Amino acid sequence: MERTTPDLELYTIPSYSSWFSWINIHEVERFSLREFFDGSSITRTPRIYKEYRDFIISKYREEPSRKLTFTEVRKSLVGDISVLLKVFTFLEKWGLINFNVSGNDERNGYEGGARTASCGSEEEEDHWKGRVKVEEGAPHGVRVVAAPNSMKPIVPPPPPPSLVVDGGGIVGEVGESGFKWPPLASYSDVYGELMLEERKKSGVVCGSCKETCDSAHYEYTKAASFIICEKCFKSGNYEEDKSADDFKLKDTQNQAAVWTEAETLLLLESVLKHGDDWDLVTKNVQTKSKLECISKLIQLPLGDLMLGAGYRKSKFLDVIGDVSDSKQAGVTSNESQESVKAEEPSSERQNEDQQNGDAECEGPPLKRVCTEPPSNAGTFLMKQVTRISTMLGPHVTASAADAAVTSLCYENQCSKELFDDDDGNYVDSNASPEVSNRERDTDADNAVEDTSLNQSEMKEISSLKNIIPLNLRTRAATATALGVAAANSKMLADQEEREIGLLVATMIESQLKKLQRKVKYFEDLEQIMENENAQLEELEESLITERLDVLQRVFDAGISRSKEHSLTKHQTDSVQ
Amino acid sequence: MKSHSPWSTARNPVKFRIPTADNLVPIRLDIEIDGQRFKDAFIWNPSDPDSEVVVFAKRTVKDLKLPPAFVTQIAQSIQTQLSEFRSYEGQDMYTGEKVVPIKLDLRVNSTLVKDHFLWDLNNFESDPEEFAKTFCKDTGIEDPEVGPAIAIAIREQLYEIAVQNVTSARESRINKKGRRGLEHSQASKNSGNAVDLFKLFGSKSSVVRKRKEWDVYEPMIDLLSNEEVDALEAREERNIR
Repeated sequence: MERTTPDLELYTIPSYSSWFSWINIHEVERFSLREFFDGSSITRTPRIYKEYRDFIISKYREEPSRKLTFTEVRKSLVGDISVLLKVFTFLEKWGLINFNVSGNDERNGYEGGARTASCGSEEEEDHWKGRVKVEEGAPHGVRVVAAPNSMKPIVPPPPPPSLVVDGGGIVGEVGESGFKWPPLASYSDVYGELMLEERKKSGVVCGSCKETCDSAHYEYTKAASFIICEKCFKSGNYEEDKSADDFKLKDTQNQAAVWTEAETLLLLESVLKHGDDWDLVTKNVQTKSKLECISKLIQLPLGDLMLGAGYRKSKFLDVIGDVSDSKQAGVTSNESQESVKAEEPSSERQNEDQQNGDAECEGPPLKRVCTEPPSNAGTFLMKQVTRISTMLGPHVTASAADAAVTSLCYENQCSKELFDDDDGNYVDSNASPEVSNRERDTDADNAVEDTSLNQSEMKEISSLKNIIPLNLRTRAATATALGVAAANSKMLADQEEREIGLLVATMIESQLKKLQRKVKYFEDLEQIMENENAQLEELEESLITERLDVLQRVFDAGISRSKEHSLTKHQTDSVQ
Repeated sequence: MKSHSPWSTARNPVKFRIPTADNLVPIRLDIEIDGQRFKDAFIWNPSDPDSEVVVFAKRTVKDLKLPPAFVTQIAQSIQTQLSEFRSYEGQDMYTGEKVVPIKLDLRVNSTLVKDHFLWDLNNFESDPEEFAKTFCKDTGIEDPEVGPAIAIAIREQLYEIAVQNVTSARESRINKKGRRGLEHSQASKNSGNAVDLFKLFGSKSSVVRKRKEWDVYEPMIDLLSNEEVDALEAREERNIR
């Protein structure tokens, strides 16, 4: 048997187990030992399975000629004895242990398989990591005997494509050491590579399980060619030297629309936590992109409410910070805060199922607000308006409200009378949104925590303004909100425009600088050229003088050119 | 997915049963009439009709050539143990995520077996008989009585744990605690015999034991000589009296 590297030892495993790899957990293992991969218990995780498996195989390979018994192994392993037995039986069934053991007459020796594959493992101290090598045909010095009846029964044959592809992967590795895929390969082996090619054309193939990634896949950022599918990523089935952080999610088109319940929940939770900081939200959700998160939240029936809640919460904190400014408001907000805290645990005990006991999570109560009868819509709208108005300050809101009221009055004369009666009161409440906002914020919080309290507050509000019909008030509020939103967007647009102008100016400036530098370089170049030119002219001049000088001297010496010529002619004659 | 999973989930209670693949009751007989002693242990399927008990007793007495007085005694003993088992049936059993240590210390004829290992109470696929068979094959025990004895010993311990589980659940229900309180008290009560899963299976620890611990968890098998067996039996006799 040829040893490729001194460190490598070759072990024989049956060819039908060539899927085995120290690094990965194969589908066959997942299928046969499902309990380790359904996350049903802390005592059965893929990691623990891998430890069991690696230990048992390594233990066997310490002395491959001896049959390893279960009783021998279990003393070294912690865990449910039945599960251990199952793992052991599984490994034995696939010939990863106790294959070729002389004491075992059933799967006896080299005559057992028509073709044996060898597997080498690189032992790095106590780490049982290594590479699997498949060697062509039977080892040297072993006669291949056809004895089909003694062959170990191939029990649940693995799904052909994955097995084939796995084999193909190994071939590539083996190619380095000069081996080729055995000529005895079966039909599926022959076409395996082709199938792999076709798969690559049709879609992305997972680097771990070799299945086509039909939903999303993760790309290994340190080497772009390594891709694994979502399933493998989630079960942690990537090579151990790669960490989860190094994988980046890549979406394929056909998965964009699919949101699992867990993902949606995660999205909502992170939105509550981070507000509209979408980068953080996306980081939390992980499996979806920023754009998808946003569009999903918009599609959700309570998406904007959520955002409102998140925003309001931060505002509420601001308000508490401002408390020292206005004493009265401070008192109310403090009181409400206390009442909120007092009410929370009791309501929590009352209905555990509705509230998850998470004080931060306001999901369920918000839902309740959402399903309130439409008669409350007006009040809710009011709250929204006050919330929006705090973004812009009292003057903008006041003028927006004014404009809204004016246009409504223009539309309908009767409403004008109504508004005239109540105008002072109404505009007052809008003109001082800082104060009213505080009150309403606390109202809103109470509403969120307790519906009954909410209702009483609403009665108060409605009794305060029941002079104006609800319908009209709603319209006024809508108009105000639109006005406010318009003002806000105008402001934003202005700001954006200014920013664009600034950026353009900077761009032009830097372009100018660049051009100036270029011109300067050209000038320098010209200077150098001129200098060189002058030097050359000087050189030419000196050469001419020198030449003249030489000629002069020749003439002075009196050796005529014709004489010289005749002398050489004479010499050539004599030679002939 | 969950419906066909043989593993019970941590939260949902299951109806009382022996936490193995087959819900079989371990039965132990020890009857002495007129100086003649009959000792036996076997497992019984509780869903078999009760008429089988008398048939079995008659058959046993006939096969072993025991005095006919044994028939009623045997039948009565089996019947009592079966009805005790049935009294627990239908009650909720909160196994939670629990792995219990099982200790074996038994002598069958001239073979002495000492062993301990972990058993998952939630694994309703486990098979003590299969385990015992592998055990005997691996350790080269030839006495055919050892395997069943080991399986019955495991079953008896599992039965006992299951009964404890049910009664503690019932007690805490009597104490009128909420569901949460119940789980809580159970956890504290059971912490004594169950192993700390997070310590053993958490991400920090390896499930491979340290090399020096291997010998501790290795099963011990002794083959006694006839004299030793006699001495041991004599001592056991004395202990009973």
